[in-house]
Amino acid sequence: MTSNTDDQAGPWLDAQLHLLDRQVLDVDGVPVAVVDDLELSEVPVGQEIPIDTPPPVITALLSGAALATRIFGGRPPESRMQSTPWADIAEIGVVIKLGVQRDTLDLAWTERWVRDRIIGRIPGGRHIPQQEHDDDGGES
Amino acid sequence: MKKVLGLALGILTAIGGFLDIGDLVTNAVVGSRFGLSLAWVVVVGVIGICIFAQMSGRVAAVSGRATFELIRERLGPRVAVLNLGASFMINLMTLTAEIGGVALALQLVSSVSYLLWVPFAAFAIWLVIWRVKFSIMENVAGLVGLFLIGFAVGLFLLGPDWGELGRQAVQGVSTGTEKVSTYWFYAVALFGAAMTPYEVFFFSSGAVEEGWSVKDLARSRANVLVGFPLGGLLSLAIAGCAAVVLLPQLISVTALSQVMLPVAVAGGKVLLACIILGIVAATAGAALETTLSAGYTIAQFLGWPWGKFRPPAQAARFHLLMIICLIVGVGTLMTGVDPIQVTEISVVFSALALPLTYLPILIVANDPEYMGKHVNGQALNGIALIYLVIILAAALAAIPLLIITGAGR
Repeated sequence: MTSNTDDQAGPWLDAQLHLLDRQVLDVDGVPVAVVDDLELSEVPVGQEIPIDTPPPVITALLSGAALATRIFGGRPPESRMQSTPWADIAEIGVVIKLGVQRDTLDLAWTERWVRDRIIGRIPGGRHIPQQEHDDDGGES
Repeated sequence: MKKVLGLALGILTAIGGFLDIGDLVTNAVVGSRFGLSLAWVVVVGVIGICIFAQMSGRVAAVSGRATFELIRERLGPRVAVLNLGASFMINLMTLTAEIGGVALALQLVSSVSYLLWVPFAAFAIWLVIWRVKFSIMENVAGLVGLFLIGFAVGLFLLGPDWGELGRQAVQGVSTGTEKVSTYWFYAVALFGAAMTPYEVFFFSSGAVEEGWSVKDLARSRANVLVGFPLGGLLSLAIAGCAAVVLLPQLISVTALSQVMLPVAVAGGKVLLACIILGIVAATAGAALETTLSAGYTIAQFLGWPWGKFRPPAQAARFHLLMIICLIVGVGTLMTGVDPIQVTEISVVFSALALPLTYLPILIVANDPEYMGKHVNGQALNGIALIYLVIILAAALAAIPLLIITGAGR
């Protein structure tokens, strides 16, 4: 499977090896999710496919409920899919980097919810632990 | 000078951080029933944890990735989910045992029932995770844990027949009046106590927390290779104390107070106070490590933001999860279950779960895509493969031995 529709150009990616179960980071390097599954462009089912049809392309990275359906089979309804559009991807390496900030993504809503409703309300929930006593400079 | 101090600090922390409630209880139980005839297991376990910790620390430092991210990437979601389930449950059991250990030690100082100490201990642990800087947390727990050297001091003060102890240690398999199956059951338990899986989650995630790079590898190797064996010597001192005082009297260890009894006999109140302080620090340190490990494993599997280097609000689900785990641990202890029995079972299950994390780390440590030129050398791979066999054997034997011996009774 390739990430681009053109067979001649661009690097080859093995979906199983290079995409699935990889960590996804946002533009600031903050973890967003793991690629639980992939969404492909519509493949007609039960019809004959003309010879020169372009191969299906990956349209989105899926997370959340897609993990359960990947392990146990089945398919969540469209509205339950937490997807990141393929166009948001900036770089694919050992991790997948997005070109957008996490907070703009729908799939980060649970993290936002827990932050705003629970953890952020406990006193001290927003302090930065490492900087507090860091007067010895860059010593690590 | 600063470097030397840093190295010394790291080694001291590793010594103090090596021991937890599992080591304390299992070594004392074994010493009181088998003398030092299981000392070889401690040696095998210490070498094993050195290899394992060194390997996972290197993987974390070179690739910047922690254990469970890699387990999922390498094994796929199905196997990883089973792996996560088993590792998480055993870690939760260890966490419960450690909180119980803190509370039991506080009970001995205060003569207030440990059940009343449990919520306070758990709250204090949460507070440290919430507020305290990672390196301070690790160093304080490790350094105060050094008071456990009192066990070695106690052993010297007891003035045992060293020849007899040495003979027990080198004669190898000797069951005395106990059954052979019981001997091997405790061999597996002792192995599980020395090589607890959470140590590896914590070690590799801690390397990411502290932002280790390839430069820090030599220092981490020194910490592990010097600190853990010295920690192992303390384990042997605990077993030795029990062998000298409890074995001849046929006292079997069923409570934390009996673990300390030989030290009280040898060194009186002052030494006993040191030991109790050491036990509180060691179990609290391990409770911190297991709580964080609970958060690390699930957050890494699901790709959540994690780590103490972020403000809690930036790793909200990670912190919520740890709070829930602490509440579950407290709830379990409040049912009145004996923390010592939880400990004894948890070390056996640790041995059972060990291959689940050992194998993926071994595979990734050999993968140039992650490790570049820092892949395992041939010598290390040779030893690591021998340990794979030992770990598999211990894991396979754990449950049958648990059933045959009725948990060593």
